[in-house]
Amino acid sequence: MSDSNFAIEVEQLSKLYSLGSTNATLRESIAALFNKTSKKEESFWALKDVSFGVKTGESIGIIGKNGAGKSTLLKILSRITLPTEGRVTINGTVASLLEVGTGFHPELTGRENIYLNGSILGMARKEIQAKFDEIVAFSGIERFLDTPVKRYSSGMYVRLAFAVAAHLEPEILIVDEVLSVGDAEFQRKCLGKMGHVTSSGRTVLFVSHNMEAVRKMCSRTVWLEKGQIKMIGPSSEVIDAYLSELKENAETVRPGERSDREGSGVLRAQEIRFSNPEGTHLQSGKPMKVEIDYRGEGSEKLTCIATLGIHDVNGRRVGTLSTKLTRSLIDLGNGDTLTWEIPRLSLTPGKYFINIFLAHRTEADVIDWLQQAAAFEVMSASFHTESDEVYYEKDIVFIDHSFRVS
Amino acid sequence: MPTKSHVITKDQSLFSFSELTTYKELFWMLAWRDFKIRYAQTFVGLLWAIIQPSFTILILYVVFGRFANVQTGAIPHIVYSTCGVMAWTYFAYVMTNAGSSIISAQAMVKKIYFPRIIIPLSKAVVGFIDMGITAVILIVLMLFFEVPVSGNIIYLPIFILGSIVAALSVGVLLSALTIRYRDFQYVIPFAVQLGLYITPTAYPAEFAIQRLPEWATVLYFLNPMAGIVEGYRWAILGTELPHIMSLWSVASMLVILIAALFYFKRIDGKIADYV
Repeated sequence: MSDSNFAIEVEQLSKLYSLGSTNATLRESIAALFNKTSKKEESFWALKDVSFGVKTGESIGIIGKNGAGKSTLLKILSRITLPTEGRVTINGTVASLLEVGTGFHPELTGRENIYLNGSILGMARKEIQAKFDEIVAFSGIERFLDTPVKRYSSGMYVRLAFAVAAHLEPEILIVDEVLSVGDAEFQRKCLGKMGHVTSSGRTVLFVSHNMEAVRKMCSRTVWLEKGQIKMIGPSSEVIDAYLSELKENAETVRPGERSDREGSGVLRAQEIRFSNPEGTHLQSGKPMKVEIDYRGEGSEKLTCIATLGIHDVNGRRVGTLSTKLTRSLIDLGNGDTLTWEIPRLSLTPGKYFINIFLAHRTEADVIDWLQQAAAFEVMSASFHTESDEVYYEKDIVFIDHSFRVS
Repeated sequence: MPTKSHVITKDQSLFSFSELTTYKELFWMLAWRDFKIRYAQTFVGLLWAIIQPSFTILILYVVFGRFANVQTGAIPHIVYSTCGVMAWTYFAYVMTNAGSSIISAQAMVKKIYFPRIIIPLSKAVVGFIDMGITAVILIVLMLFFEVPVSGNIIYLPIFILGSIVAALSVGVLLSALTIRYRDFQYVIPFAVQLGLYITPTAYPAEFAIQRLPEWATVLYFLNPMAGIVEGYRWAILGTELPHIMSLWSVASMLVILIAALFYFKRIDGKIADYV
């Protein structure tokens, strides 16, 4: 094809999904044969006329709200699905980290799964053998190598899965949000691995909600919205524009009216309220209450994991409230209000945004996930002293402390 | 590496035969996984694989050998039908597992590219374990009833190849149809159940030829396994050569094979959208 400087060249790529027919039954198909005037299928363009190029050795970020077409783009690039229109030219071998843990079988041991997963990812047996020790060391599960993975904790599982994927050596690496898994130490390892891939001259396409990571790793970023490119350019410019639009969105649109959400939608957040039970406005050092009203179909209660992530105006995550942190689950149903209580708010005055996440039993079974769902503003501080106190403007949190001389 | 330089467009089909050869290792890996899961880790798995054919053989003997008193010439009925079960077991196992294989591998199919047809194809390997177990039962019975092995045994590989092709053709077709129309999931157990009786496992095909009108005999032999089961018996036990009508089985097998490949190729690019 045209310019061989391009590792990936996307030209007028479009993908149409029809909503109705994906799970058609035989009966419906037969009926359709006889009924030519059958109702028009509902369909939508998950991607529409997307064009961009990625140069060899370049790292490019893909950002956008849920449902913007990011995962459809990745699926087409990694050949999982075909486009409806347009073409993609790929120069070089591709591996994608969408597939972390794909093909893992719970009954097989860690060792067996390394071989199985490696070959599913396209590694030759010899290659796996050569890298075996490295993979095991990277995952840190040496002791459990001969234990069936069904006995692994979810953290161990993910670490092993990522370790295998991380040892692929493609010329083009497609990475999807895998970095949101594992503990901080492991995430650092993963970022390090990705940094290594980038610096070794390979091409990386990185899809993430983590703006800091995209800013750090990618020189250019594509912002997708409703299946189209809204903006493309140097990462910091694109990310700044994206964040400022998100802020506006979070302040003006009610959560219940948002369509850029992910999950089954069995329950949906309608309304979010922030309050300080001890005062009229949010204040550092005082309690804070976040109430989320959920509406849905049916009267059944679901056993859920709920998470609330707090971000600052730069899109940096500052903290997380989650039922997962205490290893507990909650029962939530239509009409219920989920209340988060923070006994003593340690955020410094300023504006913050929250992401809300609700899943059924495991994080994989998402019910409702809304990013930048709402914004709140901490108006004043009385963390260390009762009256309005001074604080360092660049700080994000207050830290309880004392001092003495001896 | 998984994917070499290429162009992705709507018309490009995802699987090509030349590409399949580069995925040989994955094929064996998937087969090995099935084997591990089914037999290597549980004693019950192996036990089950012995119990299942034993009971099938026993019931066929009671119903066809005793109740219906089906005559099988010089060969004891139980040996005759065990040989049929051996051929049928392989076909049934591979058809069942290949047929539902892509639906069961949804998670994989939605996340990673490799030629999808490898999933149903890899089921052909583990089926031989079941067949081997039935073969052991057959050998024991042949020794017990002092039935000699026929010199035709050198032709057995032809019929084994036939059952691989037949089972995979039906299995691949069903796996593709099941993705598009979930209804076909229910067809598979039904076909296995029915197949045991409409295939000449426990009685000679001659029976059907004598008792059915000609058009029905043709239908009877459109079952690709009809001719193959007779072939197994001819090769192992030295019974009559498969009836000339068996050519219908061969023709039907080829039609199914071509249909399976065409349909699979057509649906291949959309699998991730359907599952």
